[in-house]
Amino acid sequence: MYFHTLPFLIFFLIVYPAYLAVKGTKLRLPVLLAASYIFYAWLNPLYLVLIGYSTALDYWVVTRMAKSPRRKSWLAVSIANNLGLLGFFKYGAFVTENLNLLLSSLNVPYEVPSRTINEILLPAGLSFYIFQSLSYTIDYYRGNVERETSLIRYATFVALFPRLLAGPIERAKNLLPQLHKVPKVCTEDITDGLSMFVVGLFKKIALADYLALYVNKVYAAPDQFQSPALILATFLFAWQIYFDFSGYTDMARGIARMMGFRLMLNFNNPYLAASLGEFWSRWHISLSTWFKDYLYIPLGGNRKGTFNTYRNMFLVMVISGLWHGAAWTFVIWGALHALGRFLTRELERTTYYKERVPKLAKQLFVFAFATFAWIFFRAESIGDAGVIVTRIFSSGWADPRCPVLALALVFAVWLYQYTHESKIKWVLELKPVRVGLVVAMILYLAVFAPSSNQEFIYLQF
Amino acid sequence: MQDKSTSDTDRSEDIAFGSNSIRLSGWEWIAVAVIFLSFFSFGPALWGRLGEIKSGPDYRLPYRLGGDYWLYSRLCRRACSQYETVLLGDSVIWGHYVPRDGTLSHFLNENAGRDQFATLGVDGFHPAALWGLVRFYGQDIANKKVILHLNPLWMSGEKQDLQTEKEFRFQHPRLVPQFRPRIPCYKESWSERMSIAVGRRVGFLDWTSHLRIAYFENMDFPAWTIEYPYENPLNEVTGGLATTEEDDPRDRRSWIERQTAKQDLRWVELETSLQWKLFRQTLELLQERGNTVFVLVGPFNEHMLQAASADVYGRMKKAIEAWLRENSIPYFVPDALPSEFYSDASHPLAEGYALLAQQLFENESFRANILGD
Repeated sequence: MYFHTLPFLIFFLIVYPAYLAVKGTKLRLPVLLAASYIFYAWLNPLYLVLIGYSTALDYWVVTRMAKSPRRKSWLAVSIANNLGLLGFFKYGAFVTENLNLLLSSLNVPYEVPSRTINEILLPAGLSFYIFQSLSYTIDYYRGNVERETSLIRYATFVALFPRLLAGPIERAKNLLPQLHKVPKVCTEDITDGLSMFVVGLFKKIALADYLALYVNKVYAAPDQFQSPALILATFLFAWQIYFDFSGYTDMARGIARMMGFRLMLNFNNPYLAASLGEFWSRWHISLSTWFKDYLYIPLGGNRKGTFNTYRNMFLVMVISGLWHGAAWTFVIWGALHALGRFLTRELERTTYYKERVPKLAKQLFVFAFATFAWIFFRAESIGDAGVIVTRIFSSGWADPRCPVLALALVFAVWLYQYTHESKIKWVLELKPVRVGLVVAMILYLAVFAPSSNQEFIYLQF
Repeated sequence: MQDKSTSDTDRSEDIAFGSNSIRLSGWEWIAVAVIFLSFFSFGPALWGRLGEIKSGPDYRLPYRLGGDYWLYSRLCRRACSQYETVLLGDSVIWGHYVPRDGTLSHFLNENAGRDQFATLGVDGFHPAALWGLVRFYGQDIANKKVILHLNPLWMSGEKQDLQTEKEFRFQHPRLVPQFRPRIPCYKESWSERMSIAVGRRVGFLDWTSHLRIAYFENMDFPAWTIEYPYENPLNEVTGGLATTEEDDPRDRRSWIERQTAKQDLRWVELETSLQWKLFRQTLELLQERGNTVFVLVGPFNEHMLQAASADVYGRMKKAIEAWLRENSIPYFVPDALPSEFYSDASHPLAEGYALLAQQLFENESFRANILGD
């Protein structure tokens, strides 16, 4: 079930009053869990088997960990199980495909059977709830969270429907305590939740789905377009993916807020970042911090010399790329960001860069780099990415036929965000401006919203 | 201390939202709701007042706007307020191969000597779609005289009767019953059916479809800007609606001149026909609204049928007639028109419509129920 569809509206109109009615009683968690499972099963009832198994196993592992002196072994069971699930469902086809390529290039007369694996469904949101569940077992092992004694509460933590399909990847430390208390839902929670939901809906339907029309057209046949169209499509994709994913997060946070839950901020104007490091502290914050806490720091972080720091950065970025999808394009995307971090980290340490380069130029540079890297993220294959990069620099200057409205909308959003971080932010806080913007967004959605229901990009991860 | 703590809370709240939310208070949300609901309720009506339909006695909905149900409901309101009798049906009533002064309603008006009849037929309105059209967009057809046309073509095979299990795209799927009775060839997802079922009860959504169909070549506005990246959308909106003159046919030849072969149509059983069932439901709906309904069956081009097929059709026609008689519904089941008066299996040419109008005026039941003699 997707937030921007009628079934979700009906689902929420039934679930929300029921939840408010029982939130002070013992039925609160069973109702929340049942609603979350219905929400998930709507996509495919079989998904429940996997989430049920993953939840039960991690709950049991932590119970065993609490009673056993061999805590590390139980942690290893949880990690192996979660990564095993992820590996099998998400990377099975990728691994067998590459293994077969390797065997064939070595003239080994054997082929790993890949047909069955290719036919296995990748459950929506798998990477998100696996990481969330994993964070609980690791945090418990480290002594950062208490053991959760209620299986229903733990299952609700893993499956809470607003964030189930595409995050934010919540930490047990933040979400579990909220599930222990009876949430207070005041008027402000409802109005703020509604505000976030409307902004998210606008980002998804009016912006991301619109930009997708141009991006999909160009990226479907990059060899038929020339430099301006390829540049514009890549530029628009940078914004499309931002609107798509942050729109989902806004809706998720808005719904959770209306129910009295505070989910973490996941996007904070990433295209206003003045360095690549800052970009990653503004983009998909819940994933970036997850990798930082559970991979980068355990690897040694930046404490063991320059070489090890860069090695750790590289590993984290490449694994982050792979987390997004089982394809070499994602690996290259991650590696490019790692390379960018190495180069800019040194550059940013120079006095000239720190003091003489204007902030706007730094922001534009980071945006240009991130946009270039998106080529590899979006391209259907490495070959396509190569064609795009080559043609950007070597093809002609044919009319890109890019709608002026799309560029105007992107510029308007950039201006809004820029103003939001400037000294004249107060302009955006004026009552007529706020009300006017919300009315404009709702009217645009009501009158011009496309009737097609495109899926969220990040759901495939 | 209190101030400091409040300001800390505000700051942390501010961080929690970033630029991802435009925070409004309860009262501000109420203001937004009032503005939106005003637009939602009055916007389409206001738009309707700004752009009048250029109607007239022989006006028919332009072919290109056949899927614009919001415009149809306006046309319907106007026709019902100006004319005593309306004609409902598919392209046979609309006049697929004839200009606007060659339609059945035109010749009926000519025979009546005054503007009494208005055509509300639209291309592709098979009985299942006509049911939805009358139910959701034809509420103004109440306490009127209605000539309801039944085109037997819609029962000339399992596909036309929407009975095949294999999915195929038929006309006006948004108008057919979404859940009951089940239409075997209609495979839309449950959520899409639900959206349609809700959407056709919300006038505002029909109005947004109108904008799309009438001004943006049946494309979503964003898709239209992709197709015409440098065009000004306002020019499209102020350019006016498609006109019915666009629809004057170029090819007015008869089926004989077209050298169409005789057909062996596999008529469905009347008892199991979905289209017949929904035709009867439409009839009941119109009667419930206080209309005097006169049913016109065909006249189908029987000259185009092979002998065996013509026999089955003859039996079906008799069964339809018997049902209408049993239920005391005024009707006329004319014999086939002369062969050269048809352009295909079911569409007469202008001469055919003129003859049919004449036959209707000579029909006793028509005179009693529609002309009021």
